[in-house]
Amino acid sequence: MIATIGHLFLSAAFLASFLAMILYAVASINDSKQVETVSNWLWVAKGLCLTVASGALVYLIMTHQFQYYYVWNYTSLDLETKYLFSAFYGGQEGSFMLWILISFIVGLGLMKWTRKPYKAPVLFVMTLTQFFLLSMVVGWDLGFTQIGASPFRTIADEMPNAPFIMANPDFVPADGTGLNDLLKSPWMMIHPPIIFVGFSMMTVPFAFAIASLWTKTYHEWIRPALPWTLAANLSLLTAIFLGGYWAYETLSFGGYWAWDPVENASLVPWLIGTAGIHAMIIQQKSKRAHKASLFFAILAYVSIIYQTFLTRSGVLADQSVHSFVDLGLYGQLLAFILVITIMGIGFYLYRYKELPSPVEESKFLSREFMTFTGSMLLFILGFVIIIGTSSPIIGKLFVSNPTPPEIQFYNNWSMPIVIIMAIATVIGQYLFWEKHTWESLAGAMIYPLLLTSVATVLSIIIGDVRSLYYMIYILAAWFAVIGNGTVIIQLLRKNPKLIGGALTHIGFGALLLGIIASSVYTEPLLDQQTAAYNQRILTGDVFDEEGFPVTQRVEMFQLDINRPLLVNEKYMVTYEGFELSDTPRPGQQNYILKFEPIDGSTPFYMNPEVYPMLTSSTRDNIDWSVDPHVRTGMLQDIYLYVAGSRYVARENEELERRNSTEFASSDSSNQENDIQTIEIKMGETIDAGPFSFTFMNFIPASEEVVPENAQIAIRALLRVEHEPSGNAFEIEPLFAVYTENEQSFVYSPPLDIEQWDMSVLFTRIHPESDSIELTVNGLDEEFEEDWVLVVAEVKPFVSIVWLGTFILMFGFSISILRHWKREKDTTEKR
Amino acid sequence: MNQKKTKQMKPKIIIGVVSIIAFTSLLMYNFGNSISTYVNFEDAENRSISHVIGTWDKNEVHGFSRETMQFSFYMKDQDGNSRRVVYSKPKPNNFEQATQLVVIGEMRNNVFHANEMLMKCPSKYNENPEFELADS
Repeated sequence: MIATIGHLFLSAAFLASFLAMILYAVASINDSKQVETVSNWLWVAKGLCLTVASGALVYLIMTHQFQYYYVWNYTSLDLETKYLFSAFYGGQEGSFMLWILISFIVGLGLMKWTRKPYKAPVLFVMTLTQFFLLSMVVGWDLGFTQIGASPFRTIADEMPNAPFIMANPDFVPADGTGLNDLLKSPWMMIHPPIIFVGFSMMTVPFAFAIASLWTKTYHEWIRPALPWTLAANLSLLTAIFLGGYWAYETLSFGGYWAWDPVENASLVPWLIGTAGIHAMIIQQKSKRAHKASLFFAILAYVSIIYQTFLTRSGVLADQSVHSFVDLGLYGQLLAFILVITIMGIGFYLYRYKELPSPVEESKFLSREFMTFTGSMLLFILGFVIIIGTSSPIIGKLFVSNPTPPEIQFYNNWSMPIVIIMAIATVIGQYLFWEKHTWESLAGAMIYPLLLTSVATVLSIIIGDVRSLYYMIYILAAWFAVIGNGTVIIQLLRKNPKLIGGALTHIGFGALLLGIIASSVYTEPLLDQQTAAYNQRILTGDVFDEEGFPVTQRVEMFQLDINRPLLVNEKYMVTYEGFELSDTPRPGQQNYILKFEPIDGSTPFYMNPEVYPMLTSSTRDNIDWSVDPHVRTGMLQDIYLYVAGSRYVARENEELERRNSTEFASSDSSNQENDIQTIEIKMGETIDAGPFSFTFMNFIPASEEVVPENAQIAIRALLRVEHEPSGNAFEIEPLFAVYTENEQSFVYSPPLDIEQWDMSVLFTRIHPESDSIELTVNGLDEEFEEDWVLVVAEVKPFVSIVWLGTFILMFGFSISILRHWKREKDTTEKR
Repeated sequence: MNQKKTKQMKPKIIIGVVSIIAFTSLLMYNFGNSISTYVNFEDAENRSISHVIGTWDKNEVHGFSRETMQFSFYMKDQDGNSRRVVYSKPKPNNFEQATQLVVIGEMRNNVFHANEMLMKCPSKYNENPEFELADS
């Protein structure tokens, strides 16, 4: 019922968007206010329909209606309410709906604030994109073809040929498959909405660019479009940051960026959007670069749709760790990207001759030239990344079954580009606020350059930088920070509202410094033995069982319980055990590792976790997942996770044993007997498995523990040692003989050694041989002490990466406010 | 004036076009070198570094050895060849979940030494979903 309502309203929204699109086009062509008003109402109606449909989906999720594929596939009964809600956009269909919803709100803003002549054409483009996006989720079965994948389809619709559906079409699963544990993170809850805010707002400059080409007014569109573009960029940046931070905190690859296609999918639009912002700023200041700003405004959105196409169509299936499920939308997505590209680029080329050209070339040393250089460099970087991400398509030119490019491809290209960018930011900012000749520029830069040199030399010495290339990179980055810093100081005296641009450039410089420190200078934490082993691998002295030289270094170390190990000659690390807990994840182990810096500073604890991933574990296979602990600091982060532990190994063995005995007979109760008796003389040491027992002496038993009527009561002083670890306990089990009703009884209470799951009883005295008999319960021949395998890294200055990102965000925010105010002022003047 | 402008423009345009062509060809050349092609285990025998796609062969032993500090398992490539793969890192997260594995490394003596492993995890998607029966 609810689903039918949802489906109907989704269809209504689709139809409304189609009608609105047509009417906005009519309104634009005929310049008709009335038609425009009707279209506005249609837009609102479409938004309301979509809201109702979204509400219906949320309702189905909240009420656990697992007959619906989407609900079954992304949620489960035990999911917390907040994650139930975010499951609304957890899947591909829902995320399209969220994207459309946010675009709807952006459209309302455009309706309110956009002036003539742009209003109708801008909204026409907005509805066009809405029409395509809605077509992805409308779920119409036209017989010969299917349009979109509806979030309201049932399991029976999804898998009509599954045997259980054939048997019972009304089948309802008891529980859903649930949300992947890795995604249960507050960061992942807010990441998708923010990215779609960015995507939606990036539609606006595209729409304005088309409207400008349509109305042949090539200058005025910049003012309203610029704040939207800035805001879109701020959202994308925030989303990229959240994604990176989540990856760093949650995943075990140990970084915040991996050049994964899905990551690139949000970076490229950001880069091209930023290129567009630079071009728009020149256009606004100097009435030139019309071509560039139009081009980038169009391209930024095209790149969003292109990356959407890459990640959602299944093209990248083999390449990304997390590409989306292929919903069979390939054709529709292809149509979308083609229409957007042809409309944007085609229209642009059609009007190209009419576009205003600058009367004269700008000089090299001018703000126009420098800002334009920045714009081009951003575009080139974006272009390189697009080429890399498109490897499944473009790679076919080279090989038949292309792999993604090596990470080095991205690194090698981006490094020189960002070095030039960093230098250009400073020259650009200097020229932006003041006219300069070479001489005056050189004069103005003496102090910043001096400071830059000092900072660079210090960085090189402290960081022990050996590579000339890195030295240049560090120099350029410091130059960006210090040069733009000088500009800010001058601006603060004049007008603090203007610092947005210089501030973003400082953030960029800081980001570059943070990136190089935290990626190139990351060091694994290792004990001395492993470090020495790696040294031997490096010199080629280690061979495997087949005689090949081992080339892969070991980047983890083992800790035995309560035995401190020195790592990197810096910390004494002690594994102190683990705690089992059922919150927030059932069966999770919280490991306790103590770090004592040997320079005497305060010790600290790290608590990495390991847990069984419920969504993918089955009865005969547990999928263990790790949750790293990151200890953040101003100077360095310590990143650490437990890669294996005795607990996990035992659980796996236990499971394997159960799996294999299930098929064998269940009669074997052979393993209850691990009781052993040991006869031992005074002063003697006897080995049993990994343990040794030493009988040191008799000691008298105190009165209170001895039963009444005792004839004999004595204790044996024993030393029990676990030889591999050297851990030992001294215990004093009691032996007593007492009489009751004229009968003699032996009393020998067990003494537990909890750490080893062992209990020792003193069960007999042999006076004739001067020895005693011990009975030991739970003596495991293969007993080993608790241990963990640890992977740990020291990453310097990750904090600077975040700091740089925050400064960038802050700079963007200042610019948004400034340009928004300027736009409002012009509106009010009219 | 106009003439002067065109005279000035020409060399600039030529420089521009040449540098665009140079840049693009360098980029594409480098791109072509940095991608490789997916192969099966048999072809990997004759290559230095290869990418192999396959699935985890659950019938064979797998696990992490604390002596060699290596994770090893058997992988079946797309042509059905099953080979032992060793990976000198802990078992990656999501290993069991992965519907597809990509190992990048070197084949030596019928053992694949992986430097890198990618898990393809359409985290939700089950081709043969196991349903628990609902209470009627």
